[in-house]
Amino acid sequence: MHGRIKIKTTVQQEEEKRKERERKLKIYVTARDAIFSKRKNGVLDDEALQLTQQLLASNPDVATLWNYRREILLHLETIREEDDVQKMYDAELSFLESCLKVNPKSYGSWHHRGWVSARLPRPDWARELSLCDRCLSLDDRNFHCWDYRRMVVKMSGVPVDQELQFTDRLIGSNFSNYSSWHYRSTLLPLLHPESPEPHSPCQQASHSSPLTSPQTHSHRVCEEQLLKEYELVQNAFFTDPNDQSAWFYYRWLLGRAEREEMISCVFVSREEERVAVAFSRPVNASSSGLILVLDGQPQRVEWRSIHPRFKHSPVWICKIPPGTISDISNEHNLTVHWTEKHTHRDCALYTGRSESWCRDSATDQELFRSELSVEKTSVLQSELQSCNQLLDLEPQNKWCLLTIILLMRALDPLGYETETLSHFQTLKEVDPMRSAYYSDLCSKFMIENTILKMEYAEVRVFSLSDKNLTSLCHLDQLLLVTHINLSSNQLLRLPPEFAMLQCLEVLEADNNAIENLEGLYHLAKLQDVSLKNNKISKLSDLQPLTSCPKLTRLDLRGNPVTQIVNFQSELAEVLPSITDLLF
Amino acid sequence: MGTQVKDVVIKPEAPSVLLLDKHADYIAAYGSKKDDYEYTLSEYLRVSGIYWGLTVMDLMGQLTRMNQQEITDFIKSCQHDCGGVSASIGHDPHLLYTLSAVQILSLYGTVDVLDVDRVVQYVGGLQQEDGSFAGDKWGEIDTRFSFCAVATLSLLGKLDAINLNKAVEFVLSCMNFDGGFGCRPGSESHAGQIYCCAGFLSLTGQLHQINADLLGWWLCERQLPSGGLNGRPEKLPDVCYSWWVLASLKIIGRIHWIDKAKLRSFILACQDEETGGFADRPGDMVDPFHTLFGVAGLSLLGDEQIKEVNPVLCMPEEVLDKLGLHPDLLS
Ligand SMILES: [Zn+2]
Repeated sequence: MHGRIKIKTTVQQEEEKRKERERKLKIYVTARDAIFSKRKNGVLDDEALQLTQQLLASNPDVATLWNYRREILLHLETIREEDDVQKMYDAELSFLESCLKVNPKSYGSWHHRGWVSARLPRPDWARELSLCDRCLSLDDRNFHCWDYRRMVVKMSGVPVDQELQFTDRLIGSNFSNYSSWHYRSTLLPLLHPESPEPHSPCQQASHSSPLTSPQTHSHRVCEEQLLKEYELVQNAFFTDPNDQSAWFYYRWLLGRAEREEMISCVFVSREEERVAVAFSRPVNASSSGLILVLDGQPQRVEWRSIHPRFKHSPVWICKIPPGTISDISNEHNLTVHWTEKHTHRDCALYTGRSESWCRDSATDQELFRSELSVEKTSVLQSELQSCNQLLDLEPQNKWCLLTIILLMRALDPLGYETETLSHFQTLKEVDPMRSAYYSDLCSKFMIENTILKMEYAEVRVFSLSDKNLTSLCHLDQLLLVTHINLSSNQLLRLPPEFAMLQCLEVLEADNNAIENLEGLYHLAKLQDVSLKNNKISKLSDLQPLTSCPKLTRLDLRGNPVTQIVNFQSELAEVLPSITDLLF
Repeated sequence: MGTQVKDVVIKPEAPSVLLLDKHADYIAAYGSKKDDYEYTLSEYLRVSGIYWGLTVMDLMGQLTRMNQQEITDFIKSCQHDCGGVSASIGHDPHLLYTLSAVQILSLYGTVDVLDVDRVVQYVGGLQQEDGSFAGDKWGEIDTRFSFCAVATLSLLGKLDAINLNKAVEFVLSCMNFDGGFGCRPGSESHAGQIYCCAGFLSLTGQLHQINADLLGWWLCERQLPSGGLNGRPEKLPDVCYSWWVLASLKIIGRIHWIDKAKLRSFILACQDEETGGFADRPGDMVDPFHTLFGVAGLSLLGDEQIKEVNPVLCMPEEVLDKLGLHPDLLS
């Protein structure tokens, strides 16, 4: 079904083709029927092997025929001497080799080869590995063969470093080989795992250890090896700056380890008798054993995610039994236990305080920075220099531009902000097909920078207006924000995640293209919402606001919804709490 | 040794409008040439072939042109004692065709044609210790089969029949450095496999486990200058990969990261104006498989002449609405 070019034919050619097809059809149907009838009668003999061989040689995708062959082979195995069994399976492997030559991408043939190899009385894994070598030399992207190779390597205990050298060879002969770079990404963390201590030298993994578990996506590579890899990748992209494989690999190398699973913030409000808990990644509180202990007493509370759309959420909320913490002259100590992860977090609510929190700041966690330690800034700096050199030669190279942006972020996100923005502009011009991706990524970086600035200033005001924001992210980091200004951007919606802004009092989002307010959901402190010049067109779009009990001021000037007949009275019916409506 | 971008060139005379009537005629006629060589040769995937044809007809509002009775009888005759469904009579049952059969009967709202309890048993019986699924009793393991299993069970409302935690754990162990997924742990990312794993994580309520920004970048980099999408780096564009990539982007809430207008013109250029149907690439031979994924892709791109398609199950949304099945999508 793939790659068959349609050719114009004459009537005569058409007729000849028809006859040829009819002839082939007859042969196929006869053989098929013979096979099916033998199988129905429980015949498991050499003739059946021959018949299925005939059909499979040109139709290796007919899975049932392979199944029948396996039934026959299993039967013959029981009635033959070991040497004959070995011969029988060797013959099967030769047949399979001829099948794979004709059709190197048949799932059925590769699976059957694996099955046969595992049943051989005296398996010859070296031969299988050399088959893979030959096959990959014909097509170094054949993922069936790569997968078979991984199986052979695992079965025969080929050492990891030997496989890494294999990728060295392939990459050395052709940098543009995504499959090899991919394989490297699975091998390196096995051979050079990241040390548990951030600044100690690489752990010495046994170089001769067999490759038992190739799965390592969450594991990272130790710093020493990372530096060597940077060099290799640089060779690749200086040789061919447009080859995406090396750039994808490089971005992975520059990436950081997954965040540790932990409670990143506990917030408690006296007035609302409410606790909000933020986690380092989305969790399901109802199934992960979240316990609230208040002054030594475990509380019966019901956790709810910040929005009904989320079964997994980074922020969860619960109500504290009425009256327990409302007296401002009392001090209270809270602990949230996350039993599933054996971790907890304390938070004290002092006398005279109406609210309190305990948390990690984004700066503490280096949340938005590269995983490389600060001592190695010089290395990143020289990587950046190399990429800048390449950009001088290739000013339109989008891979280089994007990588420069990432390096700048790893080095000094705030210091490089202006340059980053200008590179994003160039990126959108040289790669317009992906401009929406670049806009969203740029938005993300701008939000990260604004969070950093907010934390350095130790304020609870998040202001990011007139920066071409197209999407919102990291909203769990804004749990404590009381004022947000997102005016004059290109936002289309306030997504459900927006409900993570649990302390929000004032929202300004004028001059966007917002048509959906789903995220203004159960924001207990929200009083003032300004949405001038947006695209809110129906009264029902305002429905989420009915869940915000303190909302009194709403500015909807310049929205289509205000054109509705009797808008003011209609709105008063939906949102009776509003005393100050502008439209 | 600079790399040339592998791509196709769309000729100016290539079709640029949607030829729905021709496609409906093509599919309606396809099953009528039952003793045709090509048709016979594809009997090893017949039930899936029927799913492709019926679904595209339903999306085009032409389902009534297909012979429901004949199809239903055929599907029933393909169910085996073990509960699994085979591609055709005389062939062996397999998860691939079990899912297709359940999808077909869901279009008609008649899953009870099959012995549903046995289907559920069959699917559950193929789960392995590590949570993975074998395609059939011969033990081939692939994340495609994990998808087939949960898709089948979701359509039957029986997702609790398997060990979901283990199943999720296995699929996550197939995640790669680029955020994508492969067939098995350690396998290279591939758009078809990514679709299966994203669909799987949607149906099991675990989409938050995906690194959507990283995966979305890899996926949107599949779009080539012709507008078509490929399935892996340095490969040619293809209508079916356009679907796998597009549906995956939709599932992870990043469909706006590709150039929709350019993809639309690529898909339209893969139509055959004479015979109807879509090919993998402009100028190639058409088939029902690429016809479904061409039309489904246009639906995801917002074409209003086509019914809305669900990105996870590749079936009309209205069918899933009736079942009350709404797989998660990231926002
Ligand atoms: Zn295709």
